[in-house]
Amino acid sequence: MENSVVTFVEDGKRTILVADDELINREILSEMLKDEYNVLTAEDGEEAYEIVKNNSTTISLILLDLIMPRMGGLELLSLIKNKDKLSGIPVIVLTTDQESEVVSLNTGASDFIPKPYPQPDVVKARVRKSIELSEERQIISGTQNDPMTGLFTGEYFYEYAERFDKYHPDVQMDAIVLGINNYQVVHERYGKQKCIELLHHIADGIRSQYPENECILCHKDVDVFFIYCHHIDSHEGRLQKIAEAVNLECSGIRMAMGIYSCVDKNIDISKRFVRARLAYDKLQGNYHNETAYFDDDILNKILFEERLCGDFQKAIKEEQFKVFFQPKFGITGDEPQIAGAEALVRWFHPELNLISPGLFIPLFESNGLIYKLDDYIWHKTCAQIRKWREQYDRKIPVSVNISRVEMHDPNLSNRLIRIVEENGIEISDLHLEITESAYVSDSSVIIERVEDLRRKGFFIEMDDFGSGYSSLNMIGDLPIDALKLDMQFLRNAFNKRNMKIIDIVLEIARCLEVPAIAEGVETEEQYLKLKESGCAIIQGYYFSKPIPADEFEKYYKD
Amino acid sequence: MATIAELKAYGADTDAALARLMGNEAFYLKLIPRIFDDDNFGKLSASIAEGDLEKAFEAAHSLKGVLGNLELTPLLKPVVEVTELLRAKKEVDYSSYLDEIAAQKEALEALFK
Repeated sequence: MENSVVTFVEDGKRTILVADDELINREILSEMLKDEYNVLTAEDGEEAYEIVKNNSTTISLILLDLIMPRMGGLELLSLIKNKDKLSGIPVIVLTTDQESEVVSLNTGASDFIPKPYPQPDVVKARVRKSIELSEERQIISGTQNDPMTGLFTGEYFYEYAERFDKYHPDVQMDAIVLGINNYQVVHERYGKQKCIELLHHIADGIRSQYPENECILCHKDVDVFFIYCHHIDSHEGRLQKIAEAVNLECSGIRMAMGIYSCVDKNIDISKRFVRARLAYDKLQGNYHNETAYFDDDILNKILFEERLCGDFQKAIKEEQFKVFFQPKFGITGDEPQIAGAEALVRWFHPELNLISPGLFIPLFESNGLIYKLDDYIWHKTCAQIRKWREQYDRKIPVSVNISRVEMHDPNLSNRLIRIVEENGIEISDLHLEITESAYVSDSSVIIERVEDLRRKGFFIEMDDFGSGYSSLNMIGDLPIDALKLDMQFLRNAFNKRNMKIIDIVLEIARCLEVPAIAEGVETEEQYLKLKESGCAIIQGYYFSKPIPADEFEKYYKD
Repeated sequence: MATIAELKAYGADTDAALARLMGNEAFYLKLIPRIFDDDNFGKLSASIAEGDLEKAFEAAHSLKGVLGNLELTPLLKPVVEVTELLRAKKEVDYSSYLDEIAAQKEALEALFK
């Protein structure tokens, strides 16, 4: 399908073809139109057809006589209207009798001009009107269809899908999101041109597998296709066919298809595709499966997440978030000594009770609410430190977690310093735990940012060390003041009785000349082993779970 | 060279024709002699002689368009009559019409000699 809006105007004038075997008629029309248009002329149907083919993108209108030698006007008209590239050009038929007008209009003529010709103003007005109408239509179809694949673009797709529902209210439908698995990687590896070819193959494959009368198709967001189609039990067969064509072009490409089967027509059409997209997103980077269905698990998860986000502002206002403190103990001496605490957030939801941070922290990291939550936690933590400092003549540093997302905020250190100052405590009272994975994701920027924080006096603990992100190669250069061993890493080591690995990690801390902090210590055995191997600080249920501030006060009193 | 007055005297509706031609008299006077070379006059009589009324109709139809645009009423009139007869595929004696067409064409040609 040819849908690009063509450039009609040449030298500031649109071009018109006058096809009439009578020289005088051609001359009269040319005379009428030459001031406003470039006028081409043809003496018979065949010549006219040649001119149209060679100037398909510049001709704005054809004025066509019906009776001409070699090829008649009606024959030419139907030839033009049946050619994709030419069908958009409007045709006005020049006619002496009304019978042929009906036939012409049925064949696709946009208007007719009688012979003898009306006044020049009338002819010009009809010509102008036909061109305007056709250009408007072209602009609409230009935005309706994606020029690359000819499939609908997003907005129009939804409109047509809704119309489809209106006329087929009882038909069960599936919403499908289809694309190349890990498109970015494929793009990186094979380049843009290859990707465009692949997308063409997918578009063709979709067209052949999803018949037009029961499907609405759309090319969305470069690498993704939307299909709204009659429900079938399994789309795997069709996907296989599409994938075959793609793999002929470029082998090893994996497809991904997210399916929301038997859609609920009570929910908005775009939301149905959000659901298909959620299933699709689950497949990214998953090379085992090519299809995934939207199901109740996904639904419940988003409903739960939507609820958490909806309740967030109120939770902040009502102080439903509480900061708990988990003590850290120095174990280098004979007796464990309180050495600090980690501030941890707890959400006491009025209806959902205690919600695990594992459920809301990643969610708020993904939608940006984390900034507000972090500010809140840091404030509460600093206020608590201040309170303790006033009450007790003793300094117990408290660490807060800096999420990976926070590391991308250039204003981070200013925010932290402001909070410290507002609460009247010292920078050294507040330790920062920065997860190991943050260092790796965008290392040069992040490392610079951490160095900046350190220069300003913050004590930096690298959190989750051993979770497998940083290379030994770079660790020597990282700006850190303590190494905090990953809880899961320790647990695995103990489960597998692999004590050697614990010694190795503690040795790394020694090399870096920073203390090692072990968290998640749950048993005496773990504690003794870590102590024996030279771990400086321990945190975990073996000594204490995270506790509210008032309970934590006992460590000040000791 | 003919004048507008002469054409008017001949019976042409020069006002209507000039309105169509944006009042351009020279253009009008330049266009008219072109019809003397129009193949369709010859095609019309030849096709009628051969009994090919379809082809004859096409020729008459084309002439009707041109003569109408130039508003050459005396010549247009018999052409219109012939066109309608041929459209209906009437098996009549066309010779008197053809003679009238030839005569009016000659009279017009005389103005341009």
